[in-house]
Amino acid sequence: MKSAFLFPGQGSQYEGMLNDLPDDPVVKELLEESSEILNTEIQSLHSKNALLKTKAVQQCLLIASVASYRVFVKNGILPNYVAGHSVGAFGAAVASGVITFEEGLRLVTLRGELMENTCGEGYGMAVVLGLDEYTLSKIVNKLFLPGEPVYVSNRNAPTQVTLSGSLAGLQKVIDYVQCHGATSAHLLNVSTPSHSPLFQRVSEELFNELDRLDLKKPKIPISSNITSRLLMQADAIKEDLAKSICYPVRWHDAVNVLYESGTKLFIEMPPGEVLSKLAQQAFPDVRTMSIAKNSIEDCFYILSNS
Amino acid sequence: MVLKDVGETAKSWTTRVEAKKKRLESVKGLVDGVIIPTDRIVEVLERLIKTGDRVVLEGNNQKQASFLSQSLVQVDPQKVHDLHMIMSSISRPEHLDVFEYGIAKKVDFSYAGPQSLRISHMIEDGKIELGDLHTYIELYGRLFVDLIPNVALVAADKADSNGNLYTGPNTEETPTIVEAAAFRDGIVIAQVNEIVDELPRVDIPSSWIDFIVVADQPYELEPLFTRDPRHITDIQILQAMMIIRGIYEKHGVKSLNHGIGFNTAAVELLLPTYGESLGLKGKICTNWVLNPHPTLIPAIESGWVESVYAFGGELGMEKYVEARRDIFFTGKDGSLRSNRTLAQLAGQYAVDLFIGSTLQMDGLGNSSTVTKGRVAGYGGAPNMGHNPGGRRHSTDAWFDLKTSDDPLARGKKLVVQVAETFQEANKPVFVESLDAISVKDQAKLAVAPVMIYGEDVTHIVTEEGIAYLYKSDSIAQRREMIASIAGITPIGMEHNPKTTERLREQGMIALPEDLGIRRSEAKRSLLAAKNIDELVQWSGGLYSPPAKFRSW
Repeated sequence: MKSAFLFPGQGSQYEGMLNDLPDDPVVKELLEESSEILNTEIQSLHSKNALLKTKAVQQCLLIASVASYRVFVKNGILPNYVAGHSVGAFGAAVASGVITFEEGLRLVTLRGELMENTCGEGYGMAVVLGLDEYTLSKIVNKLFLPGEPVYVSNRNAPTQVTLSGSLAGLQKVIDYVQCHGATSAHLLNVSTPSHSPLFQRVSEELFNELDRLDLKKPKIPISSNITSRLLMQADAIKEDLAKSICYPVRWHDAVNVLYESGTKLFIEMPPGEVLSKLAQQAFPDVRTMSIAKNSIEDCFYILSNS
Repeated sequence: MVLKDVGETAKSWTTRVEAKKKRLESVKGLVDGVIIPTDRIVEVLERLIKTGDRVVLEGNNQKQASFLSQSLVQVDPQKVHDLHMIMSSISRPEHLDVFEYGIAKKVDFSYAGPQSLRISHMIEDGKIELGDLHTYIELYGRLFVDLIPNVALVAADKADSNGNLYTGPNTEETPTIVEAAAFRDGIVIAQVNEIVDELPRVDIPSSWIDFIVVADQPYELEPLFTRDPRHITDIQILQAMMIIRGIYEKHGVKSLNHGIGFNTAAVELLLPTYGESLGLKGKICTNWVLNPHPTLIPAIESGWVESVYAFGGELGMEKYVEARRDIFFTGKDGSLRSNRTLAQLAGQYAVDLFIGSTLQMDGLGNSSTVTKGRVAGYGGAPNMGHNPGGRRHSTDAWFDLKTSDDPLARGKKLVVQVAETFQEANKPVFVESLDAISVKDQAKLAVAPVMIYGEDVTHIVTEEGIAYLYKSDSIAQRREMIASIAGITPIGMEHNPKTTERLREQGMIALPEDLGIRRSEAKRSLLAAKNIDELVQWSGGLYSPPAKFRSW
């Protein structure tokens, strides 16, 4: 049975999350390594206050997911595919051996800083339920004003789509769709217009940084955020990592491609279970697990006996 | 006149059979007579299949030659490449992996639902050269014209040591594929679950077969036609009541095909209850072309059904079918004999009615099940869902659709489309423009993948009512009729209540009340069986549902 490991993105973080990782020496080691690279105490990363900042959130997500992944590696268990949502793609790239953990941590630190400093106040994201991307795109194009930009961003499920842009633009679309077919539409607790053209510059800087690195050929195919293709070349992964921040994440399609490629078991790395729930809803006949909800031992058991 | 100067290098008229002999000789050391050892299959395929060959790989929406497809994907692309694959259904990951790995290059197929996103990507990325999308009958037909296979890879249940095959209830398309290769000096390889001394019956004789190989696991088989009655809704029951009264009874429909929709499953389960109360037994729904649907069991047990001819089998129905030989086509051994090609032809030419569900319909009644960004193909619905111009025999229902007094006037096949006005998540079914048009552009198809053309549709059924499209030959009026039953979709919003009244008076459309149906009566309590367990009870314990359908 083919399996895929899923690496969550922003939204899954919670206070104290790094204390809930599997109890294993490789996890402790990675936490220490992280502390050295960042030159900071781990506990200061996942405090309530720290997690108000995009940078710390992205650092914590990478650390939590890669630490848990290392436990699988130590036990000789590797998935057939990996995929990460937004910043989760960096965890997937580390797992696949394209970049080292240290490179990944420095990249997400830079990414977080750039995201915080690019747009300033008055921007964010929203989620719309009950409309598909085509219907929503038509509405957004109709309501778009250059002074109040708003874009359709992540396709998390066929009828769970996010918007990114100015708060004024977002509110206008929310008000409209609430009377035009959406079952729900509201602002997300995010202060950056991620995955929209407003982050073109962030993408360029990430490209420059990635160009300095010696990326390795992936050991495990990665499902792409932008194109939902299975990526097997370092260059393609570089492009995906750099560009994803200014393009929509086609998450549903990225998981659909894994499903069509024969994946029957999806395991989500910590800290959350958002991605495993999305996969279960989209594909009722697959098995999904998350380390946050099932224990890592249960994941070992299922992986070794399937 | 006598030809005197026949050149010394006379043209050979047996190049095909000579080439085949060479290929067969190349594996002499690897095979044991007709038997390929399981662990040598990849090596044998590398010798028997040549670069550029047309290879037909068995796989339809139910039975899959899964061992052979998994073996084909392991051949060395240095040795074998640029294959032209012909598959009625692209449903397994390795069906596309052969293109990813460079083993195959071109494809002609009918259906790709389970791989519709990947194939759409691969066409866009130029990893697959698309021949064309077909209906089943077209693809089978082309196997004998311009897509003649060099190699056929098929699946059967059992073989004897001579290579005779027993396909059991799932004969499906095996004979058609084998025939196209075997009688044109192609090579036929069959995977079997086991080799036995004596077969229950011979479905394909050994002289059509070159090699058999015992698969490491039984071939994949999907129970696609099992619909759990628990999921049938009141709206589907209302639609089923309208179908029975407003179409089957009205036109006297005796022979028909049903697909896998829940609304037609509801029709099957209403025959012994609602149908019985209307005194329709023996007058409608006697001769069927469909797979052994478990939801048909109550109607069979109640004496409604005279005959069933099947495209394929259905997991769990084997014993029930054997115990009801009077109804099904069975072999001397008692087990079901199916044949996809012949059942498609029967569904095309010999039945009164085809009925199917759709996901999208435009204002003129053109319908499609494609979604943007996906290339899903057709399967067999369009073969049955049209009015075959070549039909010459008459039946009561067919003749009843004659709308003119012209001395040359003909009847018409009933082609019914059923839809609820909205799909999940507020997606209207009735739309201005079909997604099929964007798929055509994206996949660079010559024609938009329309499942059923509006000109062929005779009836549309929604939860609002029935439109009798066959009664109209004016495009404007068809549009009005469709709008009248399209609810609050964009198309439905066009309708004018006065027009609706006029169309009702003219009998062009019918609402439930016009058919004597009270909406409040459309309840699940009308279903002859409300869950899988009750179907098992109706069958006297003969139906044995696959584990995933068991709730106990």
